[in-house]
Amino acid sequence: MDMLLQALATLLTFESLITVLLGVTAGLFIGALPGLTASMALAVLLPFTFSMEALQGLIALGAVYMGSIYGGAFTAILINTPGTPSSIATTFDGYPMARQGRAYEALAAATMASVVGGLVGVAFLLVLAPPLARWAVAFGPAEMFWVAMLGLTLVASLSSGSLLKGLLGGCIGMLLSTIGVSPVGGETRFTFGFPPLQGGIELVVALIGLFVIPELLNMAAEGRGALPGVGELRRRDTSIRQVARQVFGKPVNLIRSCLIGQIIAIIPGAGGNVTSLVAYNEARRFSKDPKSFGKGNVEGVVASESSNNVMVAGSMVPLLTLGIPGAPPDAIILGVLLLHGLRPGLDLFTQSGVLTNGFILSMGLAALMLLPVGLLGGRLIHRVVIRTPYYFLLPGIAMVTILGTFALRNSYLDVGIMLMLGTAGYFLRLIGIQAAPIVLGLILGGIAEQGYVQTLMAAVADPVPWLRLLNNTLSKVLALLVLVGAATALVPIWLERSGRLDKVSQEDTP
Amino acid sequence: MMVRLNTDIAAGLFGLAFAAVLWLPRGDMGRLTIMFPRAILVILALLSVALVVKGFVRPGERRVEIPGSPTRLLVVMIGFFAWWAAIAQLGFLVATLVAFYALTWYLARVDGPVEGTRLLKWTPSLLALVLVFYFTFKEVLNVRLPTGLLF
Amino acid sequence: MFVSRHTLAVAVSALTALTFAASAQAEYPEEDITYVIPFDPGGESDVTARFQEPILEEELGVNVNVTHRPGGGGAVAWSEFQNSAEADGYEIIGVNLPHIIGQPIERSDAGYETDDWKIVTFFHSTPNALIVSKDSPYETLEDLVEDAKENPEAITLGGSGTYSANHLDMLRFEKEADIDLTYIPFSGTGPLKGALEGNHVSGLFNYTMLGTEMDNVRVLAVASEERVKALPDAPTFKEQGYDIVGGAYRGVAVPADTSDEVVERLREAFATANEQIAEKQEPLGFVMEDIHGEELDELIATLREAYEPILEEAKEDD
Repeated sequence: MDMLLQALATLLTFESLITVLLGVTAGLFIGALPGLTASMALAVLLPFTFSMEALQGLIALGAVYMGSIYGGAFTAILINTPGTPSSIATTFDGYPMARQGRAYEALAAATMASVVGGLVGVAFLLVLAPPLARWAVAFGPAEMFWVAMLGLTLVASLSSGSLLKGLLGGCIGMLLSTIGVSPVGGETRFTFGFPPLQGGIELVVALIGLFVIPELLNMAAEGRGALPGVGELRRRDTSIRQVARQVFGKPVNLIRSCLIGQIIAIIPGAGGNVTSLVAYNEARRFSKDPKSFGKGNVEGVVASESSNNVMVAGSMVPLLTLGIPGAPPDAIILGVLLLHGLRPGLDLFTQSGVLTNGFILSMGLAALMLLPVGLLGGRLIHRVVIRTPYYFLLPGIAMVTILGTFALRNSYLDVGIMLMLGTAGYFLRLIGIQAAPIVLGLILGGIAEQGYVQTLMAAVADPVPWLRLLNNTLSKVLALLVLVGAATALVPIWLERSGRLDKVSQEDTP
Repeated sequence: MMVRLNTDIAAGLFGLAFAAVLWLPRGDMGRLTIMFPRAILVILALLSVALVVKGFVRPGERRVEIPGSPTRLLVVMIGFFAWWAAIAQLGFLVATLVAFYALTWYLARVDGPVEGTRLLKWTPSLLALVLVFYFTFKEVLNVRLPTGLLF
Repeated sequence: MFVSRHTLAVAVSALTALTFAASAQAEYPEEDITYVIPFDPGGESDVTARFQEPILEEELGVNVNVTHRPGGGGAVAWSEFQNSAEADGYEIIGVNLPHIIGQPIERSDAGYETDDWKIVTFFHSTPNALIVSKDSPYETLEDLVEDAKENPEAITLGGSGTYSANHLDMLRFEKEADIDLTYIPFSGTGPLKGALEGNHVSGLFNYTMLGTEMDNVRVLAVASEERVKALPDAPTFKEQGYDIVGGAYRGVAVPADTSDEVVERLREAFATANEQIAEKQEPLGFVMEDIHGEELDELIATLREAYEPILEEAKEDD
């Protein structure tokens, strides 16, 4: 307790507060630009932290991390483009809300959800880090395979319309993930003799292409902006208080999403890309009105944004206790810790407890700071987007998209890949293959493959190698969850098809 | 614009074509490398066949709607690729300025003809926007943007 | 692919060189230097480069911009560099051993060659190390070898990547000790730590850094000539009778036609950077080096001799 108070005292200095404020703001804008990921934001910032003291440097990095994960929500809501992969699920309901003229409502809800998520993550990290860390390392190759399979059951709910087409999209995504160097085996695959393809298709590149380009093409074809302009904007005048009532009025959704965020955040390798998708899926599954999801239900935005901000502090559980980065940006924070001679482990919480607790608390502060920065910034960006005529907006978004894609890996080819995937995505959407299952396949393909092949390799000396996939309790439980997940996703579809749900859905839409 | 198209069959054929492209080069890969992609390829092929069959037996959507003007869609689609190609030749800055102007002019014509004075009026904000992003990425984020003959 | 701004710069400086032939070379560097890291931000190569950046800037008197070009385990950046970088010393690239030996042998489409550039220096190395957790039954390397003789293939060792420094030296160790182990590739050191902590593998064949970063582990052997400063109690493979010295080396390269003056100027700057970074990196398990000139050629030749048969064999197996 002493340590916490001491840590708090070091935080409440002018210098620290300014660092957090600037960090959150910078992170927000970087996160909002598609292509600029949280890892990149931290890497660019890294040299600046060398001249700072250990705590100050960590505070800055934590604030930027928090800001950038949150910033992804802005573009997700306003232009249907997840600024960082962790806000994919925010687009599902955030963008439809924006199209209905409820963009600011969505932004405000995302902000509040992010603040809550950020704070919850910090609380978990402070209180439960050591026991949670034990749970993190229980996930070995076999368990990771099942986690990926569990993720794939999301396809059913992401494919609006035809389940077969959704699965088709998922397979295409998984195959796209296999282009390049194989994670196990080290050979190159599907490069067609073209050396630059050894780099494979980067997730963010595909994400930008599949989400932004079809939207821009639609905008061009229709000859008007996708969001209602100032004139058309319904004068609903949603006040912050009303949004707050919507967000906090359904605490179950918030709590569930935060818990899911925390559980998934500590599984190394799954990270924020998956957290928001799982949280969204569960919000939908448990909702009384699942059909309203994907059509502008604010609960979807809340689920996605609260869970991904839990991840910021949540993924530091395995990092601070065991030195295992839970998500890619954590690797950079690990680097900084080591450079200052701070070795992850329990010592970090005792010997250098003031510093560690200071760092953790600063992330909480950063989460709180999201509220003013986000609400103000949100209003500003929202206004810019709806006031700009679409003939400026379209080339403008295209330019940012091209810049962001290029900047990701300094790759000219990636820009081409992005455009090609985007164009293909436009036509695939026309025939009913959505972008979301493809991206899901791309995220999970690598995880599934690595887990599967590693498990089978480790079992060469066993009589029946594939039994290793169900070797221990955790993997059995996960396998069971996959079955349950698939069943609960498929049964409603089957009921509906056999006509038994028709009555209910008619009542839903009078 | 409405196009008559059995989307189930179209999606199935696309899946089969995609599988075929990746099926061909699989031969010379090691066991560990091909294990996973091969499994997915088989599943993809099965799903595609199922979709084609379903398309004949119990077809889903049989019309495809392209909202708005197909001409504008096509022009902007090609415009994006031209922009990309131009970046390699002219460098990012010049190519983007040209593409930005061209797209803005083309899209603004939806509301009626665009006079030269209006184009001129846009110039300051357009230049400012492109330059701000260009310098942020180049100088602050240290991104090596493609250069042309001059920039 | 691009007509670089440097083309113009080269043309101009060529003209200047005609008039001021003597002074033109001495003035290098006079514009910003781009330092390409062929891996993701946050990795060891990146963090080292970020450290070197301010020191290099001070030494060379120009800006040094670190940029990333990740993909294909480095191969994307390396093939691009060999195909299009200007030999003027203003574009330099991080190179890693044994990647640049292994990839061109193993892949038909690597797109670059091991020798088609001038390597300025290898500034540090990270020796391989065999690490088990504290509660492992293996107290010494001999324990592990004996168990492996009784239960072939049952001992699983996690390492970073396939045909990487870890993998290749583990294969060498198998040959030397005449045992059969099972190597499981992971992507990077983060997942490896988790695999050991969670008992998903019997041990790790990774780098010395992991031995210093993790609390409850035992380093059974280190693949260096002498014991590593950060791990004074960990014996080397050589001490225990296995002739295995190897690991990953990090260095920096310039295009093949770059003048020797430029190379020397860069080497000095990197050597200075090393002196200042040493106190931070040595405790982490890095071994600071300055391998250049003939010594560098010898190192590459030795490693190639050691790894080529293993790689060729693996290629035929597939």
